[in-house]
Amino acid sequence: MDFGLTQPQELLRDSIARFLAQDVGIERVRRAMDSDSGRDEAIHGQLGDQGITGLLIDMDLGGSELGMQEAAIAAQELGRAAAPVNFHSSYVLAPLLIAGADAGERRSALLGGIAEGRTLLTPILDAPIENGRIDGSVLYLPDAAWADAFLLEDGGSLHLLDATTQGIDVEPLQTVDDTRRVAEVTFSDVDLGAAQNLGGNSDSTRRAVHAAQIALAADALGAAQKGLHIAVEYAKERKQFDRIIGSFQAVKHMCAEVLAEVEPVQSLLWHTADAWDGGSDEIDHLAPLLKAHATDVANHAVTMTTQVFGGIGFTHECDMHIFYKRAGYDRQILGNPTALREQAAAVMYG
Amino acid sequence: MDTSIGSEYDSLREEIRSFLTANEDVAVPAGPGFGGDASQVRARTLEWQKRLFDAGYAGRTIPKRYGGAGHEPDALASLVIEEEFQNAGISLGMENQGTGMFVPTLLHFGREDQKQELIRPTMRGELIWCQGYSEPGSGSDLASLRTSAVLDGDEYVINGQKIWTSGAREADMMFALIRTEADAGKHGGISYIVLSMDTPGLDVRPLMTMTGDASFNEVFFTDVRVPAMNVVGRPGQGWEVGTYTLRFERNMLGRSSTTESYLAGCVDILRETGLIDSPVYRDRLLKLEGRVQAMKYHQLRLLTDRLKKRDSGAGGLIVKLNSCQLNYDVCALAIDAMAERGVLKRGSKHVRDYGNWQRNYMYALGLIIGGGTAQIQKNIIGERGLGLPREPKPAAA
Repeated sequence: MDFGLTQPQELLRDSIARFLAQDVGIERVRRAMDSDSGRDEAIHGQLGDQGITGLLIDMDLGGSELGMQEAAIAAQELGRAAAPVNFHSSYVLAPLLIAGADAGERRSALLGGIAEGRTLLTPILDAPIENGRIDGSVLYLPDAAWADAFLLEDGGSLHLLDATTQGIDVEPLQTVDDTRRVAEVTFSDVDLGAAQNLGGNSDSTRRAVHAAQIALAADALGAAQKGLHIAVEYAKERKQFDRIIGSFQAVKHMCAEVLAEVEPVQSLLWHTADAWDGGSDEIDHLAPLLKAHATDVANHAVTMTTQVFGGIGFTHECDMHIFYKRAGYDRQILGNPTALREQAAAVMYG
Repeated sequence: MDTSIGSEYDSLREEIRSFLTANEDVAVPAGPGFGGDASQVRARTLEWQKRLFDAGYAGRTIPKRYGGAGHEPDALASLVIEEEFQNAGISLGMENQGTGMFVPTLLHFGREDQKQELIRPTMRGELIWCQGYSEPGSGSDLASLRTSAVLDGDEYVINGQKIWTSGAREADMMFALIRTEADAGKHGGISYIVLSMDTPGLDVRPLMTMTGDASFNEVFFTDVRVPAMNVVGRPGQGWEVGTYTLRFERNMLGRSSTTESYLAGCVDILRETGLIDSPVYRDRLLKLEGRVQAMKYHQLRLLTDRLKKRDSGAGGLIVKLNSCQLNYDVCALAIDAMAERGVLKRGSKHVRDYGNWQRNYMYALGLIIGGGTAQIQKNIIGERGLGLPREPKPAAA
């Protein structure tokens, strides 16, 4: 019995945290947030150099061939740093979808590119494909405005479509969470023949989606923990009525409640990632249950910790809103808590 | 991550299963489905406790010289036992102030003769204990207690009053915190004293609780004479001895398998009533499921810390607060699902599960308050877990 991270996993966590603290500080996050596109072009290559983009990719293709536990560690740290990257999509969903597809040269090249942080793909689940044509609008696609290619998934089979293909229109949408952007992609009667068929199957698609859900849960947990941390630091310094505000039970109890709710989520995350890595059937209810619970707890946490700051917590200047919005994005994308609880219930209780 | 328990525990599993089969006639079911006539329930609970202790499943690590099984502390063996009993739906025995709090304290602080005399009968349910801590003026601020003793020859003479004393009428013995030195400071002058409930001068008056049970009492001390030998630890060491016990209380109130068995009972009710198909009830159930699962794995994390002799920090401080609230919320959903049937209480026609849901719904609220209120727990979490400053003392009036 050794429930929790192994020593190498703890080292990985510490090294990712160190890298993010040094190279992706809050000023850099704010630069991306305040820019029109929200894009931080350099971050992908840097994450590649750190091995963060290739955690789930085979070693002979340039990855580190680790598992969901390691990917969740990275996601949690990226959430804690509010790093401007859609890790769950670009580096979890995309590589797992491709890895589950047929072998071939194209597959190796794509995974190799992802591992280096050179290739950025936007997966599109349930793509609008009918009778060999791609036609229709798809919404809320992470990083779609600057993706190299789209990974269209349709009933388990995958098609790779270059982003420069004729008949594709990409329109960025404005997101509450400025650290991660989504876009609308409209396909105007594009011939499926323009895409490359990569094969694939619905089992590996389901697993890839579970993994992306775990990553979003981890991101939300990291954001909530960071929010609590900065709120507690503030509560130890700020004085009102000649007292440190953290000595008021009204403030102290808010922080304590948040800690009590957030702390057990870590264990559910570890267990769920472990179930994914072990190929357990439990994952069918655990992944949606985890994402529902973790993002609910995280959103309640940031709601409370924002209040610890009082009026300053409502300003753009205070960092708290960054984590507040981060947790909100994690909650909405790939299934909101209510929908996911119903998914889990269907598995558990029919 | 390694969540396996190891094949060396397979024989223990086998042994537990045979024990449970061999003792089927007495085994007490866990969860809401056990109840009925109070004296029969009590007799069977006591008999089950004897068998558990004699077989080494209760008080497993208690040394053989005190009648225990003398096993080395082994958190994994405890986990295996908990799992097997949970799978069989059988109770792990009495978790009360004697077995859960007094015995661990005595093992740590007691004299050899005290251990010889008191541990075995306590563990077998032959000596029932109550805890004399709270007083009318000393609740959350326990150290302000005023029940006091003066030494007269080789006896203490105790005067004062305790309150919220659970089970005092059924108890044979009490362990109590008594002020034995008037001017040794708030925490310094307290002693941990054991006494028989038959001692002249003790007057127990029941207090009816909201569950309808008279499980609480007031205990009045009028010139109660207790041998000075009855102190556990040194005279004046009582605060240390008594708060060591409170750590066990925090653990006692947070066993995740109990919550899981109640949640399973709740699912049964939802299935029977057809509410399992109602989206509103499903959503509430799954919200609880998320919290229960998170606490379940949180306990494995704490167990790992114990195995590695690592401090769990804030992780350990949150268990009482979360578990008690969770137990309450699980019962609340069950009661809600019963609709009008939820108004019935124990003994009524049509009542479900002997009224255990209604009782536990209220009892769980009592546990949110007892053993350090939720608000006190939040102070502890905030101060020890997050390093927030204590509330400054008000200026003297």
